[in-house]
Amino acid sequence: MLTSTGVPVKKRRLSPDRWAPYVFLSPYFILTAAFFLYPLFYAAILSLHYTNGPKHRQFVGLDNFRHILSDPDFYQAMKNTTVFAAASVFIQLPMSLGLAMLLNAKSDRLKGMFRLAIFAPNLVGQVFVGILFMMLFTPRYGLFNRLTQAIFGAGIDARWLGDPNLVMPAIVICSLWMYVGFNMIYFLAALQNIDASLVEAARIDGAGPIQVFWNVTRPAITPVATFVVVTSTIGSFNLYELPNTLLQGAGPNNSGLFAVTYLYGFFSAQDLGTAAAVGWVLAAVIFAISLLQIFISGVSRRDS
Amino acid sequence: MAFPFGNSALALLLTAVLSLAAMITLDGGAGTSQRPDLIIATFTKEHAAAYAPAIRAFEQEHGVRISLQVVDQRALQNRLQAAMQVGAQVPDMVELLTGSMGIFTSGPLSNVGFHDLTDRIAAEGLDQILVRNRFGLWSSRGRIFALPHDVHPVMLAYRRDIVERLGINVEELKTWADFERVGREISKDRDGDGVVEHYMIDLPSDGGDALRLLLLQRGVSLFDSKGEVAFDDPRAAQVVIWYVRQTVGPHRIAFPAGWGQNLAKAMMDGTCLFYICPDWRTKQFVNDVPAVAGKMALLPLPAWEPGGIRTSTWGGTGLAFPRQSRNFELAWKLAMRLYFDPDELGQRFADTNILPPVRTAWSRPEFSRTDSFFSGQPLGRLYIELADSVPDEPSHTYMNTAVAKLSEAFQNISLHYRQHGEKGLESFAAKELRRCADRVRIQVNRNVFLRQDPRRQS
Repeated sequence: MLTSTGVPVKKRRLSPDRWAPYVFLSPYFILTAAFFLYPLFYAAILSLHYTNGPKHRQFVGLDNFRHILSDPDFYQAMKNTTVFAAASVFIQLPMSLGLAMLLNAKSDRLKGMFRLAIFAPNLVGQVFVGILFMMLFTPRYGLFNRLTQAIFGAGIDARWLGDPNLVMPAIVICSLWMYVGFNMIYFLAALQNIDASLVEAARIDGAGPIQVFWNVTRPAITPVATFVVVTSTIGSFNLYELPNTLLQGAGPNNSGLFAVTYLYGFFSAQDLGTAAAVGWVLAAVIFAISLLQIFISGVSRRDS
Repeated sequence: MAFPFGNSALALLLTAVLSLAAMITLDGGAGTSQRPDLIIATFTKEHAAAYAPAIRAFEQEHGVRISLQVVDQRALQNRLQAAMQVGAQVPDMVELLTGSMGIFTSGPLSNVGFHDLTDRIAAEGLDQILVRNRFGLWSSRGRIFALPHDVHPVMLAYRRDIVERLGINVEELKTWADFERVGREISKDRDGDGVVEHYMIDLPSDGGDALRLLLLQRGVSLFDSKGEVAFDDPRAAQVVIWYVRQTVGPHRIAFPAGWGQNLAKAMMDGTCLFYICPDWRTKQFVNDVPAVAGKMALLPLPAWEPGGIRTSTWGGTGLAFPRQSRNFELAWKLAMRLYFDPDELGQRFADTNILPPVRTAWSRPEFSRTDSFFSGQPLGRLYIELADSVPDEPSHTYMNTAVAKLSEAFQNISLHYRQHGEKGLESFAAKELRRCADRVRIQVNRNVFLRQDPRRQS
């Protein structure tokens, strides 16, 4: 066969060089399609059905969404989750940053040991932490109750896990113990990447510690801080094992009911449709909050 | 011909293919030749230990192999649920904990994954020898899906030595009003250190199972026998208010002793004097708190009104037979041995202190023995005397939802009591229980499969 110019056409052969990249990429695409895209779209279809397990379902349109949006428990779960996420961002992360700055000080010989000690709680799972703190929060005999009685002369019979007003503080205390060290590692890495000459130059120009932090440290760690804030928020919205282990359920008066716990309630009752609807609403909320955080931090604007 | 991506990639590919082939081959073999004739799954090692000798004897008599598996209750329920949904291999017999049956009966009756035992039970006359009220836990829409393992009447266990030292006459604790009156005298800080030495009773601060069993004693179950939500009954408000008064505020008579080590410590210290005690709990006390042996005694629950019922029920186990079971008849034979043989039941009571629902077994000598831990009282006879008064507790698909909503109502009523005391308490309690019951009704009415079922939950 000839081209219009009379040059013979080379037969296109499927050489390995041509299709090898697709072969190597295919596991990723296949797994993503099987375990991410298919469940995602299937969940969307499922959210429009009332189900009794995966085998029996009946189309109900948007009824599942209507139900959850009119269910006070959904709002209670979202409120609890938001409060916990706020505590993660406004209490946990400043503590992580503070510890990271302390450990970043060069004079501390025991830096390595402290780093390990603070990070170590994250090596154990949330279930372990839940069981451990369940004992620490025991009325009369728990360490926390003994401590508050010794310091404040009250609180020996406080029901940390039985009083709706104390449940959230109890969960936040657990998560602080578990995650402060984990986030500290991110901040520590960011702090160690700051050019020392910038700090030195600022000091020579007469900047105090606060000015150095605000004008040198803060801008340098902003991308990492944004990442930590976003991942902490997403993690908070996915919280499940810790409250479930600590409270063995949703806690008194649903004070320990979180978004995923709420979702799981439908799942375990074989109502997969409503569970899928909750999942989609939750995904939308997390997406919106993450966008907002990135926007507020200014990272997206600066990158563009 | 050379493999286009090199020998290393070829080696990896071959390893993967061979591993997969080996897995399929080995698993296939295990699935056929190694599977025992029956698999029975339970969620407590105490049950497993009690069944083991009978199962060994059954194996020899029938020339079969039986596998007895202990799986954590939550894991057992979740795995069974998942396996039934996808048609995977399930045990031939499975012990379920009270409350879990509703999960398996949420769809049409024809889709329940267990054998319907109703006709078989009637045909073999088992309903005549079993405590009638124990079928409700294992039924849905009038059909029975499991055999009841126990009765679980409830009494009060108490620190006899301290109670006597404090001058309390337990014979006078006939009603909960009597109990409350004595409790107010006892639950005080006597040495002025800010800590109450003895609380009258161990009650969980969130209501939990204790509140439910007190409601049952008062004649209120979460769902009635027709499957209608029933915990907004006016009597429920009375019980909840009573419970709140005992557990909230500076004059409370109850302390949440909890479980495990905390409970043991509370019992040893005498932090609480009285403990709600179904039959199964007596063995836990014996095993976990040997330090109080001979210092404990049992007392029927005080009644809600003079001459009223002196017991309730807490918990329960049922034996169900998945439809996917390959050998139902053999499984049924084993069930008869484990659950109905008087010799087995007598020995099991001696081992576990759990009262079986089979009346014909109660004449065995094991049920009349005295128990030194409980000050020489005849533990079996005490529980048997109460067995026929145990209230019915109908199962329902939305049992867990109802439990959660009752707890929500209780917490809000507690909060109201903390903030406003007695002012408007009764009307608030009634309103709150109605609100929470209505939330459960919404859930029930959403279930299109129950709606379509002509028999509905009746």
